[in-house]
Amino acid sequence: MIKKITLILLVALTLGCNTTKERPYNDNTLRLNLSAEPNLLNPILSTDSAASSVEAYIFNGLLVVNEDLELIPELASGYTINEAGTEYVFTLKKNIKWHDGEPFTAHDVKYTFETLLDPKTNTVRRSNFVINGNPIKIDVISNHKVKFVLPEPFSPFLVRISTSILPKHILEKEDINTTEFNRNPIGTGPYKFKEWKSGQYIMLSKNESYFENEPKIDTVLFSVINDPNAALIALKKQEIYVAGIPPKDIKSIKSESHIQTHQYYDLIYSYLAFNFNNTHFKDVRVRKAITHAIHKEAIVKGVLKGHGKAAALPSSHLLWSYPDTPITAPSFDIEKSKSLLKDAGYTLNEKTNVLEKNGTAFEFTIITNKGNKEREKTAQIIQQSLKLINIKVNLQIMEWSAFLKIVNNPTPPKEFDAVILGWSLSIEPDSYSIWHSSQYPKGFNFIGYKNEKVDALLTQGRLETDQEKRKAIYKDMYTEIVNDAPYVFLYYPETTIGTNTLLKGLSAPGPSGLLNDKTKLYLEL
Amino acid sequence: MILRRLLSLIPLVIGITFVSFLIMKSAPGDPTVMFQDPTVQLQDLEQLKKNYGLDKPLLIQYGYWIKEALKGNLGFSYQTGKPVTLMIFERLPATLLLSVSSLILILCITFPLGLLSGYKKDKTLDKLVTFFSFVGMALPTFWVGLILILMLSLKVNLFPTSGYLDPALANASILKQTFNIAYHMALPLLTILIGGVAGLIRFNRFSIINILSQDYIHAARARGISEKRILFKHALKNASLPIVTILGAGLSSLIGGSFIIEYIFSWPGMGQLGVNAVFARDYPLLMGSILFSSILIVIGNLAADISYSLIDPRVKQ
Repeated sequence: MIKKITLILLVALTLGCNTTKERPYNDNTLRLNLSAEPNLLNPILSTDSAASSVEAYIFNGLLVVNEDLELIPELASGYTINEAGTEYVFTLKKNIKWHDGEPFTAHDVKYTFETLLDPKTNTVRRSNFVINGNPIKIDVISNHKVKFVLPEPFSPFLVRISTSILPKHILEKEDINTTEFNRNPIGTGPYKFKEWKSGQYIMLSKNESYFENEPKIDTVLFSVINDPNAALIALKKQEIYVAGIPPKDIKSIKSESHIQTHQYYDLIYSYLAFNFNNTHFKDVRVRKAITHAIHKEAIVKGVLKGHGKAAALPSSHLLWSYPDTPITAPSFDIEKSKSLLKDAGYTLNEKTNVLEKNGTAFEFTIITNKGNKEREKTAQIIQQSLKLINIKVNLQIMEWSAFLKIVNNPTPPKEFDAVILGWSLSIEPDSYSIWHSSQYPKGFNFIGYKNEKVDALLTQGRLETDQEKRKAIYKDMYTEIVNDAPYVFLYYPETTIGTNTLLKGLSAPGPSGLLNDKTKLYLEL
Repeated sequence: MILRRLLSLIPLVIGITFVSFLIMKSAPGDPTVMFQDPTVQLQDLEQLKKNYGLDKPLLIQYGYWIKEALKGNLGFSYQTGKPVTLMIFERLPATLLLSVSSLILILCITFPLGLLSGYKKDKTLDKLVTFFSFVGMALPTFWVGLILILMLSLKVNLFPTSGYLDPALANASILKQTFNIAYHMALPLLTILIGGVAGLIRFNRFSIINILSQDYIHAARARGISEKRILFKHALKNASLPIVTILGAGLSSLIGGSFIIEYIFSWPGMGQLGVNAVFARDYPLLMGSILFSSILIVIGNLAADISYSLIDPRVKQ
């Protein structure tokens, strides 16, 4: 009985009390969260997003991507490219110092790229600096001038060179894979590394002698909060000042007076890809028919609760390379879809209510990876949509490793019919690894797409350095790809970020993040 | 005698690690599966595998590992480049703190309650205990955890939502740090207690009921021995036998940590380490954790055997 009474009292107490709006911290500290602990803080080795968000405060590259998604000089004051497009000379800013007080020079740049090229370095970015089997060469011209010599012209190089630079004087005698530096980094960036407690937090303090404007916030504290629901509560309680908000929680967050929400499209597109070795999908009319039958807006509404945008091609409207004039893409049109399938020789079997060609039913399986609810729901909607045009779709949700084992199988034909996946985009439009026919069966062109025109345009795009000319090349390429319908381009998800209203100096909402310029951020305490 | 048994455990542990190694390797994927990204090229992944020695035959890979492990070197994690032993020892204190304190509290609550509930079978107290323990068992841990955060942290602001030690107290006195950690531990501890108490009470109750229906208890009653003495002297000792077995087997979970609890409350313990190692196919870290927990399981069993013979002298023969 006593237990019951205490329970009732406890419940009454819990419901009766109001949410406290008092801010628990009033120091000049930017409180952020990481959804997972970074593996290590070395920009040439790390591959997780948690690490890159911390590294952005500690390190600088020769170039950096700004809030408008443009590449601007950071450690460099400028650069020149020779006529042939094979020599890049970077002039470095003077009076830049490492956090330990040593001067930053061209030798650090040479060291960083040579370490990247060393096969013993456990990095996944070596090939970024190997062009058609030949590595780039780095020459120090003077302490503040460095030259990159490319074996042949290669325009995606400029984006790749924005890798953060490491201090030679600390690392040259160390094993880069296991050095203590990876947990106690020294950079040139606006914040210095201070402390890392495993599984708990990473603390940075401002670099008072930063070569650009001095940062306004004294300390940046990244707490590891794994569960997104817990992170959201921490944002509400003002324990952290920035957090991503899942679509289902956007309404409830908007009612909080101390939280401001920002929205932008991610540089990611989701797609349904067809295996070109499947007899049905060899016919472009079939691929187009399926594209016509899928209502992308309905998927955005149903799966993303409207927080997204239908995609039509493998690029994003946020990028400079996105075509200015629209490319005609297949629209949602069931009648068109049915007539295309009829032209392709499919007839309806009245008994099973499934289309048939030469006696085989049109039935295929979509696979996608487990754990991504959006992809799973998308697959279900597509399954229902294709039922309307009498195609039978089976779904198979697989664990990531098992899924990759099928998709990355090095011997054709790969054992799948169609997959739902997503690709992330970068400001560099080169997508050789996805669309070039040489990237099958080993490579990310796992569907076996082959179009000689696309192959040629991809090569041409890598050679051309003029941005306007490249834009025209990629427009031609997107037109070819849309026409071949190797993928059904589905949607770009929209991200919603909540920030505490005391955090000011934010960048315009965009894929480069709200906290793009670290030195502008300040807290209105 | 104990020493001989301890020595005989060494080949057992080696056997466990060998079988685990084979199972681990037969799972699809490898440490490079994380990088399914169009900006990463396959030849880099091949090079990475070569650097990790994954191109060598399985037996050679295992032989290399066991040779180094016997020397006390568990290698470096693929993900972090940190020594595996260091990674495990960094995470151990938080896990031990949570698991040992929850175990002590669970025992302190379940023993008297289970005893009473079994003794007063079908009375009001027993019914109440039974009701609450079923509710406790039925509630999923992650749900209880989130509800506790929502109620006790967000609504009434009694406890912080997550974490271990407030970074501002990194240089504070030990006493202040201890209080702060305890403050952060309240919610995860409560979450574990709700599930843990419920399960063990049922077990205790059942074993008391079982013992109380034995002939020697009836005999003791017939001889006019007081109920108190029967309960605490005769029944309790015998009822604790199965509990010892459970605790022995549970020793490894003490350091294993709970992934769900640690995930929800961002508790910096071992559970996350092991689970993430599985997903990332971080073989050295995975083997290190397996070695650790297999040693503990084996020792836990041994300890249970030994305490058995202490409680029940018949087992000695």
